[in-house]
Amino acid sequence: MSSIKKFKINLESLSSRERLIFKKLIRAAELIAGLYLKQKNRRYPGANFYPPMVNPEEIKKAARNNPAILNPYTFVERTKSGELKAVPYHIKFKKELKPISELLKGAADLSEDKNFSLYLRSRAKSLLDGSYEKSEIIWLKTGLSKFGFVIGPIERYLDKLFFIKCVYQSWVGVLDEEETKKAEEFRNIILTGRSKILDKAEKVDVSKIGIRIDKTAIFSGLIADCMFTGTNLPNDVGVMKKYGSNLTIFETSLKEKFDQDHFPIFQAVFDKKLQKRYSQEKLYEGSLRCIISHELAHSLIRYRDAEKRLQNLFPIFDELYAYILGIQRCGLALLKGAFNQKELEAILIMHICRNFTWWLDSLKNADVYHYATGAAIASNFFLQEKAIKIRGGISWPNFTKLFICIEELCKILDYYLAAGKYEEAEMFVKNYGSFDIFKYFSPQLKKFINRTKPA
Amino acid sequence: MVYYNTNTEKIYLTAAGLEKFKKEHKELRDIRNSESIPKEELIRMHRRMEELELIFKKYEFIKAPPKDRQGIISLGATVVVEINGQIDEFTIVGTLEAEPSKNKISDKSPVGQVLLGKKEGEMVEIKTPIINHKCRIIKINYQNE
Repeated sequence: MSSIKKFKINLESLSSRERLIFKKLIRAAELIAGLYLKQKNRRYPGANFYPPMVNPEEIKKAARNNPAILNPYTFVERTKSGELKAVPYHIKFKKELKPISELLKGAADLSEDKNFSLYLRSRAKSLLDGSYEKSEIIWLKTGLSKFGFVIGPIERYLDKLFFIKCVYQSWVGVLDEEETKKAEEFRNIILTGRSKILDKAEKVDVSKIGIRIDKTAIFSGLIADCMFTGTNLPNDVGVMKKYGSNLTIFETSLKEKFDQDHFPIFQAVFDKKLQKRYSQEKLYEGSLRCIISHELAHSLIRYRDAEKRLQNLFPIFDELYAYILGIQRCGLALLKGAFNQKELEAILIMHICRNFTWWLDSLKNADVYHYATGAAIASNFFLQEKAIKIRGGISWPNFTKLFICIEELCKILDYYLAAGKYEEAEMFVKNYGSFDIFKYFSPQLKKFINRTKPA
Repeated sequence: MVYYNTNTEKIYLTAAGLEKFKKEHKELRDIRNSESIPKEELIRMHRRMEELELIFKKYEFIKAPPKDRQGIISLGATVVVEINGQIDEFTIVGTLEAEPSKNKISDKSPVGQVLLGKKEGEMVEIKTPIINHKCRIIKINYQNE
């Protein structure tokens, strides 16, 4: 894997000056992939963030005297005398980060968008001195800038020891104004009301949740390996609470996923008669609503101590709950006449297809294991409650039962994220997280499974 | 979206709703008179203008009920409800004015249909073929003139 994924997009809407900016951002994104590859190491649960085969207890002990050991932006290395020391990313990669920082400054000089330019300068600085949070706050003010651009150490999925260390990634996209307007309306529908079950969560000011739909041109680093279709940043609960969050939907990535996975999987696993009820267009809309509501729900389920309590299990619960709560919110929107029953059915069907996609993705990329585990939990739950029936494929989903399952799962997952202990969360994953459910579908999914095998 | 038959039913509007439609009608008229527009678009605009003109003929203002009837939900009421553990606040309007993203809910939506005629404190059931939720009416408000 090169950890760079490029998409063809139309650049006609860009001025000649904007094209120059675009080029610089793309180059910066390409360069960051090299740093990601130096962090990634699938042989160890701690990737290259910690010394190979290190005992997690030794890390915890060392962190008590030196908190930098468990800082999100440091490598942990062993000295000649056998002690553990922390080396900040920006120091270890000083040489590699310099040209990236220069590209960002060059793009900032060209940009006529004041906030975007300010963000680029701040990001350029942060890559060299580690002041990431400051530039993230400025990024939140870029809102609907022409370019969607993120670069730096962000996601934590490679750190399977502690879920703390961030990996480098980047994306560059161009705002799709028309789709963004529609998404803003959808956001307002989904985020109305206050959930009582979320009392222990951080309170979220909905007006601070920005949303944009981008025609993404490049993914680099972790995001290229995982091929996300949307994201909600920043990850830090405190920053999000104070300054809000920005949600980006990667339209080009979603379209590719839908064409190559979601829709063909729908055709492969669902009953033929049921297939005739839903057009490809309606299902795409369902898939889009599924990912937007998922990312929006992330803003509603921020629990201050959940990551610390659930450690490596946290992303399983966090990602699954965001999917389930997002769908639950779509159900409330149906009651208010925001869309019709068939449109809600399309969302549910696409959620089931996405579950298969995450399992298939996990066969070729272990870094999405937590998504796949969440997908297995939901699928096993649906099967146990007879919301889906398997007879040579999914014969016909019982949408009423599916929705009862969604409500039930909401309560369960909310408990684990709000107050659940590690051991009980682990037991829940053990009980419901079996991938066997997907294996029932192996005959229908043969061509997809073959695609995951190395050539 | 809920289909609304403008030929046979009374059209209930708030004053703000009527103002919005009048503005739209004026904009369409100005565009039609001032620009060269493709034929298909012109036909679409004509249709919309006819639709709006029909609304102007058949509309009836949504009025707040008398004080002694304001404990019952009717068109124009802003309600605070608890649906399935979630506290929500919205105004019930006619279908043409419905904008769920702005908390304006159609009287023909599953929630709207159930709530009309109900009182503060009542517990009702909102049923669709997929979803069945209990709903408690916490507060009813009218914007009195």
